[in-house]
Amino acid sequence: MLQVIDSIWQKTQRCWLDDMADHFDRNHWTPLLAESRSYLRALGECLELLSTAERDTEF
Amino acid sequence: MTAVAEQIHADIDALKELRDALTRFRHAQREVVERGDDEIRATRASLEAKAGQWRSLLARREADFAACQLAAAAEAATGRPADCSAEESAVREAQERLDHIRRWQQRVEDEAGAFASASGRFRDLLDRDLPRTENHLLAVITGLEAARGLQVAGS
Repeated sequence: MLQVIDSIWQKTQRCWLDDMADHFDRNHWTPLLAESRSYLRALGECLELLSTAERDTEF
Repeated sequence: MTAVAEQIHADIDALKELRDALTRFRHAQREVVERGDDEIRATRASLEAKAGQWRSLLARREADFAACQLAAAAEAATGRPADCSAEESAVREAQERLDHIRRWQQRVEDEAGAFASASGRFRDLLDRDLPRTENHLLAVITGLEAARGLQVAGS
C-alpha cells in the first residue's frame, strides 16, 4: 500500500511544481514515508519473533 | 478553459487523489496497528497458557517423584528399592520446558517493549500527523479551486 501511495505522490509531483509542493514533500511526505517504513519493518521483525516463539514452544 | 485553468484542474484532481489515498492509507494502517497489537496479546496469552500447563505437569511429576522416593525409602529395607530414575527424568524434562517457555516469555516482553515505541510513534502519525497532512492538502485544494473559479470568471 505504501508503494501505491508513493506512486500516487510521484504522479502528483509531476503536476504540482510550486514551493508548496517542496514544502509538502519535506515536511509531510518524507517524514510520513520514513515513519511508515520504520514501523512496518519493526512490525515485521516483531511478528517474526512471535511466530518463532509459538513454534519453539510447541512440545 | 485556458491553459492555466486546465493546469489548475489537473493539479486539483491529482491532489484530491493523493488526499483520498492518504485517507485510505490511514484507515488501513490503523487496522495493521491493531492486528500487530492483537498478535502480541495472543502470543503472550498462548505462552502463559503453555507455561501454566507445564507448571501443573511439573507439580504432578514432582509429586510422583516424591512418592516414588518415599516408596523407595520404605522398600530399602527389603533390599529391592524402587527405581525412581524415570520420575526424576520426567521432573527434569518438565522443568527444562517450563524454563524454555519462560525465556521466550521474557524475549517476547523485551520485543514488545521495543516495538511499543515504534508502534506509539506510528499511532501518533496516524492519529495526529496524517490528518494534519490531509487537512493541509484540503486547504491547498480549496485554494486552487478558488483560483480556478477566478480563472473561469475572468476568462
